[in-house]
Amino acid sequence: MSRLDRLHRLERPIASLARGIARVTATALGPYQTAVIRIGFAATWLLFLLRELPNRHEMYGPDGPWNWDMAQQLIANNHAFTVLMWSDSTFWFETVYVLALLSSVLLMLGWRTRTMSVLFMVGVLSLQNRSIFMGDGGDNVIHLMSVYLVLTRCGQVWSLDARRLRRAQEARARGERSGADEAGRPGGGADEAGRPGGGVDDTAQPRDGVDDTAQPWDVVDEAETRDGFDSGHSRDGFDDSGHSRDETDTREDETRDRVGPVLWWILGLALSVVTFMGELGWGWLLIFWGLWGAHGLWWAVERRAPGGELRLLLDVVANLVHNAALFVIMAEACLIYATAGWYKIQGSRWQDGTAVYYPLQLDSFSPWPALSDALAAHGTLVMLVTYGTVAVQVAFPFTLFNRRIKNVLLAAMVFEHAVIAVVLGLPFFSLAMITADAVFLPTSFLRRVGGWAARARGVLLPGRRRGSRGEPRVPGQRRGEEPDPESAEQARVGFTA
Amino acid sequence: MDAYDKGVSARPQPAPPHASRVGIAALSFRYQLVAALALGTVALAACAHLAMVFLHVAPSNTVTKQHGQAIDQWIYPEFEQNWKLFAPNPLQQNISVQARAEVRTADGTTRTTGWYDLSAHDGAAIDGNLLPSHTQQNELRRAWDFYVSSHDTENRPAGLRGDLSERYIRRIVVLRLDGENPGGRGAVIGRVQVRSRTANVPPPEWSDEKIDTRPVFRELPWWSVTPDDVPLARATKVEVTAR
Repeated sequence: MSRLDRLHRLERPIASLARGIARVTATALGPYQTAVIRIGFAATWLLFLLRELPNRHEMYGPDGPWNWDMAQQLIANNHAFTVLMWSDSTFWFETVYVLALLSSVLLMLGWRTRTMSVLFMVGVLSLQNRSIFMGDGGDNVIHLMSVYLVLTRCGQVWSLDARRLRRAQEARARGERSGADEAGRPGGGADEAGRPGGGVDDTAQPRDGVDDTAQPWDVVDEAETRDGFDSGHSRDGFDDSGHSRDETDTREDETRDRVGPVLWWILGLALSVVTFMGELGWGWLLIFWGLWGAHGLWWAVERRAPGGELRLLLDVVANLVHNAALFVIMAEACLIYATAGWYKIQGSRWQDGTAVYYPLQLDSFSPWPALSDALAAHGTLVMLVTYGTVAVQVAFPFTLFNRRIKNVLLAAMVFEHAVIAVVLGLPFFSLAMITADAVFLPTSFLRRVGGWAARARGVLLPGRRRGSRGEPRVPGQRRGEEPDPESAEQARVGFTA
Repeated sequence: MDAYDKGVSARPQPAPPHASRVGIAALSFRYQLVAALALGTVALAACAHLAMVFLHVAPSNTVTKQHGQAIDQWIYPEFEQNWKLFAPNPLQQNISVQARAEVRTADGTTRTTGWYDLSAHDGAAIDGNLLPSHTQQNELRRAWDFYVSSHDTENRPAGLRGDLSERYIRRIVVLRLDGENPGGRGAVIGRVQVRSRTANVPPPEWSDEKIDTRPVFRELPWWSVTPDDVPLARATKVEVTAR
């Protein structure tokens, strides 16, 4: 073997390592996967809170069976985080419950996603840690995932934030266009309305060319602004990027984000009050002030130097954190299945093939006694389900290395959890587990589902079609022959999905 | 993760010619150093966290025996988890919590009510229910688990948790009994007694296993009920006797 050969062999892994690093620093991977778990966990918690609305005082209220005083004594020992310990008044409890509901709705819709993910976590931790003897496995999953979600850029698609970003881009594109129109290109309106129609619009061709070369920049810009909207307040000065002042001044008024900074100041004020109350330990103070500071920093950098290197660095760090959190979420899901599976293997009932029979005979997990009895009559079936459950749970983490087998197993597990939801009466646990599974769904499938959701919305709310407010759909089209499916889909899906 | 990566690569990627100009490659050397530091920190934190979680859910082993405390410090309270779902063996006993009360009726006589099967009540509420509440499925069941795990077989409490679990059970029982209206209109609860009834689930029809399905009872001592034991501001019925 020549030296050159050996060198060449070494180069390959290094090159792929470099590619990997470039990738995890340049992109927040799995935009659809993180969006679907954001929507899923927020919806699960929301539905749970709505379901338990009549029982909320009994479960988490200051005078429930597990009352405030008892919770206080336990939490003094385990130091769990819960804002419900700040006051034993019913008013405070109701406020927290409403805020938990509200943050779930807003996180699900993707409104100020990154801020809402923090508030969502606060709501989940506060209620669950307040009454730890109330929860089950489903609560446990939501608890962990609410923490992990804070670290992800989970509002890149299927969110109100994404829609706001797209609209701002549309506004900016219109600005560009009007500039171009002045330069002697009439018929821009028609162009916008039905762009790909060739022939007549040949004059537009060169511009497409320009747009195409600008595409990488566009993508970077999109990634940049993604978090701008995420953090909720960094969109100020968005329009400054790469445009001359006089051109953007008027539009800036239209697109400048005022809600974000207001939200940021309010939360900063609230955090100050909490800090002075002295209820939070230094660890949590560090986390919350850190997140608040990061949002502020992002906004300032976005405003002062939107194309600058510091801005790029922030983007790199945000991507890194996102990708690591996504990896942790996936690993966590694998750990859940691995633990559930491997411990089952050690049980005699899972070995003799009767395990599935027993939960169905327990009063707490048998909403359908007739069904349990019918199933109990079929020994072979029970054994097949018992063995199948263990096999699927143990095998799942290993099948991730083969896309096709993984998808088959994923379908099997989603189905099993749907059955568990009804047969064992564990709807919220099952919904949480299905959501956790969804992080492994292929992008193509998720996009198809997004398309269906958009169509469903079109049927249900025909009056609310995009463009009804006279806003042409620009970004999906201005790239000429091949409209970018991603932004086109975002345009259709909006916030319904 | 391969399966996942493939999914992503189906997305339109940034145009290749400039691909090297995004991410860390787009930065100058000084910023690259910072980014590299961030990369290292984030990767380390993620791996450390996963290792901790793994050791937390794994069975007791060489490493957890040596570093159990460090692991617990990382995991508790927010990353605690238990995924032994119906494992190693599913529960094969129906444990029901039952309670009775000593009430003073409206005419001033004191009498002891029969046993109310509170778990059976929960079970009935779950039947045919697509959305069972945690109050029906978890509250009493987990409270009893808590009590059992924090008391010895002589019902002596173990530390703070023991005391708390006792109060918790008492408050749940009072709340539930209150709903049953024991002793009729105007009666007030003076004392309550709790017992558990544990019965093995009969083996399936096709099985030739012989299992004793006769119930076993565990009876706790009588507890006086004070206004402090009455949740959700339903104190009126007890306060009179509370003295």
